[in-house]
Amino acid sequence: MTDSRPVTAAWASCLGIIAIVFGILLVAAHGNELLKQVVITADSAAAYDLPLRCPVDELTEEGISLAECEMMGANVKSMIISRPDWFRTFQIGLMTVGTIVAFGSIFVGIALVDYRNWAPKAAIISFSALAAIDIIGFIAVVNTGPLMRQLYLWEIFLWITIHLMMSAGAFAGRRSKSIEAPLAG
Amino acid sequence: MQKPGYSKTAVTMHWLLAVSIFFLFISSWWMLALPLPSADYRYRVLPFQLHKNMGMTLIMVLAVLLYVRFKHRPAPETSHEMRPWMHKLAVIDHIILYIVIFACCLSGYLSSAYSGWTTTLWWLVDLPDWGHEDEELNMLFSDIHLWTCWALLALVSVHISGALYHAFRNDGVVRRMLRL
Repeated sequence: MTDSRPVTAAWASCLGIIAIVFGILLVAAHGNELLKQVVITADSAAAYDLPLRCPVDELTEEGISLAECEMMGANVKSMIISRPDWFRTFQIGLMTVGTIVAFGSIFVGIALVDYRNWAPKAAIISFSALAAIDIIGFIAVVNTGPLMRQLYLWEIFLWITIHLMMSAGAFAGRRSKSIEAPLAG
Repeated sequence: MQKPGYSKTAVTMHWLLAVSIFFLFISSWWMLALPLPSADYRYRVLPFQLHKNMGMTLIMVLAVLLYVRFKHRPAPETSHEMRPWMHKLAVIDHIILYIVIFACCLSGYLSSAYSGWTTTLWWLVDLPDWGHEDEELNMLFSDIHLWTCWALLALVSVHISGALYHAFRNDGVVRRMLRL
């Protein structure tokens, strides 16, 4: 039996697997950020300095000290007070879109490794969209305060770099020719 | 005739597992830094319930994957790139991976069962409270959960390294798990 699909171009195989791995990590990261924003609401306990519960048996179970337990409340409060009013809604929206696009990039990566005809163009669109989402997020965080910036900026910058490199790779690869050869069965 | 790659169901279950496992890792590192639960501090409720729900679902996903994988075996790998030692390493890694995923999920569930906290599957089905509140058993299974999950992370790294190797060699091995 012969397979008439072209043999995967080497660049597509490399870029595809990278897209899949980063796509999985990004779905997880964006999903977690979405969960974080949903959970930490402005009118929740940490914002009002309500007393924390730090029983000794649970501290032992968690392997944390009393100071750490108390710091956990401060950690959440730091997010609440340094987050502008618009940020939570904005981030929930952006992360929802980001999670979906990241999921899509996994399929694009699969299509690249499987070397579908539409894959190179889809890769350019998908990776550029991811970079655009990162840049929008970066700009938003820049417009918050120093506590939010120290939390987010480096990670977002890293993703921008990754997605720009992947976009460049997709663009360069699309300009190269694929190896067209029937596979012997 | 055996197909050259895995079935679509196996492929779907595999990638569902992959995305879920990484989400569970990243979200667990965050949620363990949230304040301990109380009547006022309820930050941990949703993330922990979601974590448990996903963990229990992953056991079912793994069961489906294993069933489909063995019922519809793909054709043996014929790439000349795949040396015997690579094949042996892949088989060993896969077997240990399945065992560790199962152990990680099961120990998490057992830890929860002995913690006194109730579990509702996806906020729809109340699971029976067959376990009793037992601090020692809770901590035992919690430790097992922790160490099996670290082992899982290490094994997944080996697995991904292997996939990257084959993809960079462009030898067709990875395409077996990448069929749309």
